[in-house]
Amino acid sequence: MRWGNPSAFSFQLGFRLPKKGHTLHGFLSYLHAHFHALRLEFWGLLIGGIGSGIIYAMVAIGYTMVYGVLRLINFAHSEIFMTGAFAGYFTLNYLIGDSSPSGITSILLIVVGILAGGLTGSFFAVVLERVAYRPLRIRKAPKIAYLISAIGASYFLLNIAAKEFGRIGRGITQPYENHTVFTIFGATVQMYNIIIFISAGIMLIIVDRLVNKTKLGRSIRSVAQDSETASLMGVDIDKTIAMTFVIGGFLGGAAGFLYAMNVGVLYSMGFTPALKAFTAAVLGGIGNLRGAVIGGLILGVTESFTVVFFSGAYTDVVAFAILVLVLMFRPTGILGELIGRSA
Amino acid sequence: MSNLFEVSNVTLRFGGVVSLSDVSLHQKRGEILAVIGPNGAGKTSLFNSLTGVYQPQEGSITFIPKEGEPVSFIGKKPHVISDNGVARTFQASRMFNALTTFENVKIGAESHKGIGALGAIFRGPATRKDEKYSDARTWELLNFVGLRAKANHIASSLSYGERRRLEIARGLATNPEVLLLDEPAAGTNPSEKLELTDLIRKVRDEMGVSILLIEHDMKLVMSLAERLYVLNFGSVIAEGTPDEIRANQNVVNAYLGTTTRDAN
Amino acid sequence: MNFPTIKKFSTQALTILLLSELAAVITGPPGSADAPWSGVQGSITQKTSFFGLFIVGRWIFFYAIGIACYVVALSLRKVNSKTSALKTFRSSYNSITDNKYFKPLALVAVAILAILLPTIISDPFWRQAMVSQIAVFILLALGLNVVVGFAGLLDLGFVAFYAVGAYATAWCTGALPMPPIFGSHINPFFTIPIAIGLAMVSGVILGIPTLRLRGDYLAIVTLGFGEIITLFANNLTGVTGGAQGTKQIPHFSLHLGPLKYIWGLDPAPYYYLVIGFVIFFIFIFFSLEHSRVGRAWTAIREDEVAAESLGINPLKYKVMAFAIGAASAGFAGVMTAAQSNYLTPATFTLYLSINILVLVIFGGMGSIFGVVFGAIVIQTITMYLIHSPPAGYQAQDLYIYIGALLVIMMIFRPAGLFPARRRHRADSDASRLEDSNV
Repeated sequence: MRWGNPSAFSFQLGFRLPKKGHTLHGFLSYLHAHFHALRLEFWGLLIGGIGSGIIYAMVAIGYTMVYGVLRLINFAHSEIFMTGAFAGYFTLNYLIGDSSPSGITSILLIVVGILAGGLTGSFFAVVLERVAYRPLRIRKAPKIAYLISAIGASYFLLNIAAKEFGRIGRGITQPYENHTVFTIFGATVQMYNIIIFISAGIMLIIVDRLVNKTKLGRSIRSVAQDSETASLMGVDIDKTIAMTFVIGGFLGGAAGFLYAMNVGVLYSMGFTPALKAFTAAVLGGIGNLRGAVIGGLILGVTESFTVVFFSGAYTDVVAFAILVLVLMFRPTGILGELIGRSA
Repeated sequence: MSNLFEVSNVTLRFGGVVSLSDVSLHQKRGEILAVIGPNGAGKTSLFNSLTGVYQPQEGSITFIPKEGEPVSFIGKKPHVISDNGVARTFQASRMFNALTTFENVKIGAESHKGIGALGAIFRGPATRKDEKYSDARTWELLNFVGLRAKANHIASSLSYGERRRLEIARGLATNPEVLLLDEPAAGTNPSEKLELTDLIRKVRDEMGVSILLIEHDMKLVMSLAERLYVLNFGSVIAEGTPDEIRANQNVVNAYLGTTTRDAN
Repeated sequence: MNFPTIKKFSTQALTILLLSELAAVITGPPGSADAPWSGVQGSITQKTSFFGLFIVGRWIFFYAIGIACYVVALSLRKVNSKTSALKTFRSSYNSITDNKYFKPLALVAVAILAILLPTIISDPFWRQAMVSQIAVFILLALGLNVVVGFAGLLDLGFVAFYAVGAYATAWCTGALPMPPIFGSHINPFFTIPIAIGLAMVSGVILGIPTLRLRGDYLAIVTLGFGEIITLFANNLTGVTGGAQGTKQIPHFSLHLGPLKYIWGLDPAPYYYLVIGFVIFFIFIFFSLEHSRVGRAWTAIREDEVAAESLGINPLKYKVMAFAIGAASAGFAGVMTAAQSNYLTPATFTLYLSINILVLVIFGGMGSIFGVVFGAIVIQTITMYLIHSPPAGYQAQDLYIYIGALLVIMMIFRPAGLFPARRRHRADSDASRLEDSNV
């Protein structure tokens, strides 16, 4: 299921405005028809929603972790997503060429793609931290400076990609053949969905273990809670922050690859998914790792369902509306702003 | 003397932590009242509740102005409370660091006037009159606290003692009925402390502004305050004149802790 | 010279080489997804002429510059002289710009030049650009300066107010599919108050729910708002004409008693009109800055908690800043609509919001003088690069440089080229820090 073409917009309103003369009955029957459609498509939309939701979750973790240790929204995370996607694209194009792989080769190729995307994401995330954020930390710059620097970095990367890789979207050479694996309650589950669920699921579990059970994870959580005390206790702040970017960058880049396997690559592909992932992070509770996952899933599914009511272009409005509502009424998010704890 | 503040059964919670527990106190108009207690007792939380920065979950806070009806402060925002006649200083002086001493106080002086953007742009006679008034009042207050010489200095260049006095001047510029002072003597040297004590008394005596202060310096508090409340772990454990408090065993225990030897 | 350790040297050398390579790639022709390495290859194989003096592979040129800078930096570090050359430069720069006659004199000089400009410039590209790309952008920068510079609110959706003003003009003159509420075909000149009013209203509507949010969140939310406005402009075809844009918007004309003037295709009369309003807005914003409203904004920016304890209602003043900034943008919208006679949503993008932000940051957040200067400089350079692009430059490459500029400004001179007076004092600590760092 495609989540929308990054370059085209629909030219009509996605719904009919009630004209004068329509009665309340007309409006109700409109709702009824759409809810009926929702019920018919329910499982398909749910599966699609979970798929996109997991991708949002992976990107959201990047935002939430960086916010935890730096109290900063890493505006340039959308470009990390994009670089990962491009890395996967180039790698797979090179490795696959004209062949159509299957079986074990497919699995290997997917793993390679994820690694390429993830490592590239980590690389650029670390460079970003070193170049755009660390100098500001040294100067104890006000928050607004970080944001502006992030915007600048984001623009820089985005436009270099545009210049070097062209402004036309491309599809990734598929490492596998997409087919319906099984159907559940009348909805098809495709190979693609399975790949996403499994690979993203594995990565999320690994990161959760990492943050909760390892020494590195403890360092990250302690810096998120109280960096001054953490440094007094011997935690290397700079290294911890760098590792936070590595982890967040890996997930973001890998997510970019997984996303691009379906939608393709384009220099501007990062903007909208990353903004939605940020909404997911806020929804779940910024700074809260598991919250990011929950927020991502909820957002993905909600978005999926609202496609029934509005056309594709307006689903972005849904995400934005959720963001504004959450910030206005429960800014700490669903799981609360538990900086330093993962749950 | 009539009451100025009536605080009843205020409880303030943050998640699982109880910051203030069933706190009741009152302040009489014209009195210098102090709130003391060990660190973490909830004194600043009390101030923050009185000025609308925190919203207590239970209890009531009533302010009785000289003119007009008593006002409940629960649920009010800090700027509204300031309009009612309550000014405060902060534990770590919150200056407008990039501005001069004069500008700092002037902001206080003009904050209650009702001039909007239009007046600001077009500088009619009403605006100019108000500016003149604000300027005059600012000079008056700078004189009062002894900062006239530093009027054009940047606020961040002032010493601790001077900053405290600047904060007091700035708060007084809003024409309050009561001034809440949060550890005004913190970080000051003994001679500055003496000047501060005199100044605070001057504020009450000459300007008729009631004083509510938090302090750790016992000597200063005992010489200045007419009545005290003692907080510990968010509750009021004693109330009375300085002599009464000095003699109160609970207070001593709270500050010094108890051992079996002391208890005997 | 002071040589660093081997490890430090290798990381520094690698950085310099990478940066030089990056510069070589950026200044080259574009690549495509089929040939991702074409940029790097091109930087080595292609030969470009530099200033008509010599023709050489780009990589040689930039590596040479990179190495030269590195060597200079090394020797400067040893002498520990941010003293000597740099310090005397900086102190003489400061002594000129801090002189209290500098700004008024400079403004007068700029004003005289501005008035004479249409008589000096005859190139049609520049005559058009001086109105639509420079004068209008000065207005936009002034407006954003109120929001970001005076009140300290990072608004990434500022373009929305510009769009509202422009589309309001289109609407009132009957250029939208949706007819105006009163008669049809009002002259755009009289839509000015309506457009400004609508822009201010949208500023208030956006501001009231969002201005309680923290800085980061405010930025994202305003960004979203800007995107939503663009989305609606593109998709509500029945209202705004959709992506194809509006119908023809008439030029200004003025019939007021004995006064009769019709604007037309010649940019010069528009130029004077816009410059006239620029001066008007500068006057307004200057008065505001030095009034109690301006002081309240400064107080909120410096320490919102302390300001609140003095009776200043932060929400009220922040919304006021939004509305006032929006007014300037809305008016700019009217100018654009009437002068170009046509609008599409494609003009009002996030890129534009960030473009305006760059003007404000580069010139000096919070400084009217700085912002005007920043707008003039950057827009002129932008237009120059479009008009006579050097080899390998494409119009969209501008954003690469803008992005880099933002990061560099934040690291080295966050207060901008001409910092606002008050900020300058606070930043003097920061610049002392800079002095001790290199």
